[in-house]
Amino acid sequence: MTTTVVKPEEASTGKTGKAVRDRRPLLLAALGIALLACALLAAGTGAYRIPLGDILASLAHRAHLGGHPLERVPESVLWNVRLPRVVLALLVGGALGCAGALMQGVFGNPLAEPAVIGVSSGGAVGAVACIVLGLDALGSWTVTAAAFASGLLTVGAVYAMSRSGGRTEVVTLLLTGVAVNAFCGALIGLLLFTADTAAISQVTFWQLGSLSQASWSKVLAVLPFAALGLAVAPRYARRLDLLALGERPARHLGVDVERMRIVLITVVALLTAAAVAVSGIIGFVGLVVPHLLRMLAGPGHRFLLPASAVGGALVLVAGDLAARTLAAPAELPLGVLTALIGSPFFFWLLRRTRRRQGGWA
Amino acid sequence: MSSPRGPRSPHRPRAPRTRLRARAGAALGGLLLLLGASACATGEPAAAPTAVGGAASPDRIEALPGTPTPRLPVTVPSADGRQVTVDSVERIIPLSGSLAELVFSLGLGPHAVARDVSTTFEQAAQLPVITQAHEVSAEGVLSLRPTVVLADRSTGPAEAVQQIRAAGVPLIVVDDAKQLADIGARIDRVAAALGVPEAGVELKSRTEQQISEVRSGIPAAAQRPRVAFLYLRGSASVFLLGGPDSGAPSLIEAAGGEDAGTAAGLTGDFTPLTSEALVKAAPDAILVMSKGLDSVGGVDGLLDLAGVAQTPAGLDRRIVSVDDGRLLSYGPRTPQVLREIAAGLHRDGAR
Amino acid sequence: MTELLHADAVGCTVGGRPLLADVRLTVRRGEILALLGPNGAGKSTLLSVLAGDRRPTDGRVRLDGRPLAAYRPAELARLRALLPQHHEVSFPFAAGEVVRMGRAPWAGTPRAGEDEQAVARAMAATDCAHLAARPFTALSGGERARVALARILAQDTPLLLLDEPTAALDLRHQELVLRIARERAEAGRGVIVVLHDLTLAAAHADRIALLDAGRTVAVGPTGEVLDAALLSRVYRHPVEVLAHPHGGAPIVLPERPREAD
Repeated sequence: MTTTVVKPEEASTGKTGKAVRDRRPLLLAALGIALLACALLAAGTGAYRIPLGDILASLAHRAHLGGHPLERVPESVLWNVRLPRVVLALLVGGALGCAGALMQGVFGNPLAEPAVIGVSSGGAVGAVACIVLGLDALGSWTVTAAAFASGLLTVGAVYAMSRSGGRTEVVTLLLTGVAVNAFCGALIGLLLFTADTAAISQVTFWQLGSLSQASWSKVLAVLPFAALGLAVAPRYARRLDLLALGERPARHLGVDVERMRIVLITVVALLTAAAVAVSGIIGFVGLVVPHLLRMLAGPGHRFLLPASAVGGALVLVAGDLAARTLAAPAELPLGVLTALIGSPFFFWLLRRTRRRQGGWA
Repeated sequence: MSSPRGPRSPHRPRAPRTRLRARAGAALGGLLLLLGASACATGEPAAAPTAVGGAASPDRIEALPGTPTPRLPVTVPSADGRQVTVDSVERIIPLSGSLAELVFSLGLGPHAVARDVSTTFEQAAQLPVITQAHEVSAEGVLSLRPTVVLADRSTGPAEAVQQIRAAGVPLIVVDDAKQLADIGARIDRVAAALGVPEAGVELKSRTEQQISEVRSGIPAAAQRPRVAFLYLRGSASVFLLGGPDSGAPSLIEAAGGEDAGTAAGLTGDFTPLTSEALVKAAPDAILVMSKGLDSVGGVDGLLDLAGVAQTPAGLDRRIVSVDDGRLLSYGPRTPQVLREIAAGLHRDGAR
Repeated sequence: MTELLHADAVGCTVGGRPLLADVRLTVRRGEILALLGPNGAGKSTLLSVLAGDRRPTDGRVRLDGRPLAAYRPAELARLRALLPQHHEVSFPFAAGEVVRMGRAPWAGTPRAGEDEQAVARAMAATDCAHLAARPFTALSGGERARVALARILAQDTPLLLLDEPTAALDLRHQELVLRIARERAEAGRGVIVVLHDLTLAAAHADRIALLDAGRTVAVGPTGEVLDAALLSRVYRHPVEVLAHPHGGAPIVLPERPREAD
């Protein structure tokens, strides 16, 4: 075989490929720094004015690094209102971003998002049912717990229904998801029909998505799921890359596709259900963030999964900062804000990719 | 920067709509419009007893002694610009809780044949409800063969109002009362429409006298407590702070307080508020409706909401809760409401 | 030559319909076995049984002496590679990255150190080194086919299953692919290749397995199986087998009505 003579290093990594790969750690670092900066900005900004010096003093004091505590009210606003909110935005954003990247990888489709398998609409059914039927078995945690449980249950149902002969086909899974989403939508409609106006307004606000009722206990409730997802996801990065070749080729390369799909759909469901439970429906983060990062640094999941988590966190911390400051003292609904800015942005991205690549990716 | 306003929809007592007033710039216009159509509350039958705050009082109407004899027919102006002639008050249907309250207070309760969902007091409990879901059903109303129908400006849908009129039933629209000063005029209009103006005068003077009694009992504080009127529904969603058009400022001021929403520069009726903005508004007391308070798990649940515990009101647990069915229905029962609020605002020491 | 893959009385019934019945064939190290047969004969089904995708309902397949079902997916991935008919990649991975994916089964083994070299060699061999940086999704059909082949070669397995590897390729690259198959065979690998072009099979295969209606009707050396009468019966069309003027390799032609002559 002597048709062409190519040096090994040129063959394995072309110029562009190398540039893209070199860019990845840099981009991840940049995202991390941006997230840190944004989180600090968010911690320092709010309707209740707390001077930056005081914030640093209070942070230092709590970290036993000198500083001093603030007066009762600013100290309480900082630690019980603002910081839990920033941290919750970070966790929810990370969970949504990571879940989005996983979902797109599992389905081998850049348009897949967690909502496709019914986790959001299923969660909404649980939350709406609690609000409308006035259930409060778990006190103020009822809606949160119900949203979480019914989100997971719905994903389980979608998966079980699309399984046949020990296998699930992606198309069946997607179509079942479509049907279940429609069914959940109808259930929500039915519940709303029977609801009184007060419940309807509450449901409306819940569905718009918000982190306004953030608390440390909600942070603690989301933390294990976010941590679990973020810990499990990278272990599947390489196998997700292989899955891009298709199920059969991935299997031929030693991937247990069916098992991986069950694990990852469970992870996606946990991440998304936890996020939906504490924040309502916040759209588009899971769809846009991985997509954008893939365009910047290629589709390799070893970069994409962590970067999507950091990117999602960044978007949500920034988005929540905007939600509570743009119209202060009024509060904008976060879910509406992300979709309102996310959709046109996404559209622009699509046009651009299409033009550049001349095809779908 | 002022925000675009959604189409004005009729106001209904205890039915706050939110109109988000944003300084966010024109780009957010669409978002604001979207928010425009949001919270709208009607009460439910059989209101629970007041949880906290003022003395619990039975949900009853105190009617004038005796039954007035209507002088009919009368022709009265309806608030939508028509002249309506009433021939008989044998069968009256008041289409809102506050109108029902007036009919019963005037002593014409025995003639009421139906109620809407927001009519919650005991004497009307046996009457059939003629609202379907949230709106008036013309067929339901007509099936009870009313001789006169009373409606608020917010009564809807407009088709139902037209259908009732088309069936030849006199329907009078009465302007809403949004502050203490409107009570007299509203009593007068209803009394006139029902042919019992004398009873109206009597009820008006009784009410005004009761209000002034309450006001004279309010201690003259050096500093007026700042009161935030919060519209709460469930701890999972945002809370709304009442502004100048929420209906509550008149009561708050009469009870010797200052409306925190107005002081914070809000406009319109209700604004979804960031928790920190509530802390910044620093209310000394928080006024809520009892069902709203129940929906967040009582006073303790309310104090768990972000931003509430950090306010002076939260620190002192100074939460005043008034029954949903009565708080904003300016009418004969307002003196009692005012008494409860005043008692909550001016109690000494913490609970 | 040692036996690498052995199918013994393999049958496969799906939904009551027998797709394969009593299939017997052997592939040895160092040889190319061409799998031939008309459309619907069961070539793809057989290939997926041999690859371990599909469990046979009858009989068994042994790879390297062990039943196929006894292997874990990762082990199997180091023993056999399959080149599918269609080449899709969901995301715009660079062609070089796609080829590198072929090395996945070797991750964590002592042979992981050979990754770079194996990738480079496979890409050079398939004439696609210059495509390394281009997104797979932006390649032409022929380029994709070569990159996909490079991925299989990089996987570096004793057994290669090629499902119509020449379908999307021009004449030069068809020859290239089959020459690569020959090189692999000479290096001691076993190759099974599904082909439609009988002449191409005649030129490159050591042996042929002829499939008809799910059964192996003939398995043997190329010259023996490419018999005009047998082929005419199996393909339900009269076939001529000629000898190439140089070297005498069989050339298979369908008989066509010739009015002009």
